[in-house]
Amino acid sequence: MSDALQSLSRFLPELILMAALAVVIVADLLTQRRPLKSSTDLLTGITLVGLLGALVTSWQALGAGEAQSLFASMLADDGLLGVFRPIFCLTSIVVLLLSMRSKELEGVRLGEMLALLLTVTAALMWMAGSINLVMIYLSLETVSVASYIMVGYLSSDRLSNEASLKYILFGAVSTGAMLFGLSLLYGMTATLDLYGVRAALAEGAFGPGLLFVLVLIAAGIGFKIAAAPFHFWCPDVYTGAPTPVTAFLSVGPKAAGFAILIRFFYLGLAEPAGGGAIAPVGGADWQMLLMMLAVITMTLGNVAALLQTNVKRLLAYSSIAHAGTMLMAACVLSVEGVQAIAAYLAIYLFMNLGAFTVVILAHRVTGSFEIDSYAGFWKRSPLLTVAMGIFLFSLMGIPPFAGFLAKWYVFAAVINAGLGWLAVVGVLNAAVAAFYYVKILRVMVIDEETGPTPALAFSRLDLGLLVLLVVPNVLGLLFWGSLDRVTEYSQTLLELG
Amino acid sequence: MESMGSAAIFYATAAVVLGSALYVVVGRNLVHSAFALVAAFFGVAVFYVYLGADFLAGAQVLIYVGGILTLLLFGVMLTNRIYNLNLRSGAIQVVPGALSAGLVFALLVWIIQSVDWGAMDSGDPGPTSESIGRLLVGDYLLPFEIASVLLLIALMGAAMLVRRRGSS
Amino acid sequence: MIPLEHYLYISAALFSLGVFGVLTRRNAVNVLMSIELIFNSANINLVAFSRFVEGALGGQVFALLVIVIAACEAAVALAIVMSLYRVMKNVNLDEAAELKG
Repeated sequence: MSDALQSLSRFLPELILMAALAVVIVADLLTQRRPLKSSTDLLTGITLVGLLGALVTSWQALGAGEAQSLFASMLADDGLLGVFRPIFCLTSIVVLLLSMRSKELEGVRLGEMLALLLTVTAALMWMAGSINLVMIYLSLETVSVASYIMVGYLSSDRLSNEASLKYILFGAVSTGAMLFGLSLLYGMTATLDLYGVRAALAEGAFGPGLLFVLVLIAAGIGFKIAAAPFHFWCPDVYTGAPTPVTAFLSVGPKAAGFAILIRFFYLGLAEPAGGGAIAPVGGADWQMLLMMLAVITMTLGNVAALLQTNVKRLLAYSSIAHAGTMLMAACVLSVEGVQAIAAYLAIYLFMNLGAFTVVILAHRVTGSFEIDSYAGFWKRSPLLTVAMGIFLFSLMGIPPFAGFLAKWYVFAAVINAGLGWLAVVGVLNAAVAAFYYVKILRVMVIDEETGPTPALAFSRLDLGLLVLLVVPNVLGLLFWGSLDRVTEYSQTLLELG
Repeated sequence: MESMGSAAIFYATAAVVLGSALYVVVGRNLVHSAFALVAAFFGVAVFYVYLGADFLAGAQVLIYVGGILTLLLFGVMLTNRIYNLNLRSGAIQVVPGALSAGLVFALLVWIIQSVDWGAMDSGDPGPTSESIGRLLVGDYLLPFEIASVLLLIALMGAAMLVRRRGSS
Repeated sequence: MIPLEHYLYISAALFSLGVFGVLTRRNAVNVLMSIELIFNSANINLVAFSRFVEGALGGQVFALLVIVIAACEAAVALAIVMSLYRVMKNVNLDEAAELKG
């Protein structure tokens, strides 16, 4: 019990989120009869305060104090969790602001959505921190269940419902397979603790049998990060979900999925081999498994994205491709790979949410998600076009934008690990990706508008949001040093035990 | 003799579980499938009793049979009224499906045989409720609390999804 | 005394049947039932290993939490099925195909 009380002091961001959750639920009930606008404003305010509080406390916790395990070795409060917490909070804050501006969510009571957002943010942190098989599974399911509801939030909208049904069926199967894999791993190692798993695997060689178990577990993690071949839900769900939710899914759960991937493979299935490198234990070559996943995911995402005409679908495939790029870094088997993934996610947050912000703002005027509807945007709103250009160039990885840095980290790590061929595949994929990103820009700048062209007007909130997202993408190179320092914390994972 | 009788009951239960599970996945009538699922869940509870997991056996019956199955039956009844003969659960891709499932089964059997599980019967643990209760407020306090948060939002979300909206 | 392997064979068979159901069924509620079979098969493993391998109750607590999660998932899934049914009066997956894979 004293252990639990001690753990609470290292658990502040999650506690703030849970407190905000309780307040939001009660306030939602109390304001049921009030006009929609005032009740939504109140609830959004509470949620924003909760998320900002979590952001500030998680920023303060970053790098403060020794890494230690919490709640009887359920969670690890270490650099990896420290780096991921602010990423989750920032994502949720942007998504919260986006849901206030999304046309799809206008006139809808947002109480449950805000409660779900708070829960899922905390659950993402639990995912990133878990070092016990029970916690891995439970936190992953909490994120999943909350996401299913968020996707189906527009319950009178057919697409939203269909997307949600596909998501939950596919999700339940993937996590079911993962659970079966975890149960077999528990049998092989006689423990639920990740460190115990590593110790047990280091003693005996399990070989191909273990590899099959890992494939089952990879199904659950692959589902969360939308890696091929577990990505089938992704385009449909991204298209059908309310766009702010799509934006959230493309960053939050993906980031947490990578955190859990790093923890599970780097911590549970490998032991430190000196000099920041790790060596797989148990006689299963999971590096090969991850490399195959990376290559398939990148290639499939990029090629399929070429064929899309709907911008949400296009961004869905592009997010699959980015997952593939990050998976490359996961094959590195050293702290460098962990740092590359953390840096990539921190930048990806700003570029991808930026692209979705433009999509949502454009949808307010055009009412469409087709790329063709963006024709003539250059004349109608140079500001929006330039912002979109910055986000897309950043996603492409073109200097001087921050996305270049992200790619740089990953490729440097991959090449340093002697995986030259993988880097070549990655570069070829990046070249393919440029085609579809440029396609959007070409439509915006060169194509002439055909229909009526209502003016594009922005509120102050829109402008603030765009600035918030553009600045990190443009000035990324200036902050190279500080990003480096921050993501260095993520490496403490390998020193903990 | 007694252990032989107990073994016979075990394998009979196994046959019932697998038989009803098979019916669940090939049967043509959804309601029948749901009742076959009841049998499968009860059988699994019997396995738990054999394994000395008395509390879990109770939870299995209460939550699965009493909760989840009732929900599923509601789902079947409300979405496929009896007069609506559109109880289509037509299975397609049976052959590739059977092949993949067979492959999975073969792989699993091979794993079960090849891995040295180091099995040693730790004996009947006796009544487990107290120990599980202590674990839930001790070592597993955090998962227990997270499960309660999960229940809360699942309840809230499910209620929100089925509630008729004024605007629609 | 029933050996550990027999529990594992049963759970492997149950898992494979669940996989078969997931692959071949087209009715959403039926797919859900198959998923429940998968969860149950994993639970049998957990409880069996808890007794025969770990010799402690960790696996049983895990299994208990899995049952809770399965209940949550089933409740949410059926709420979605209900809601979708209201919108389109049919729950066969083939017809939920306005979004193509």
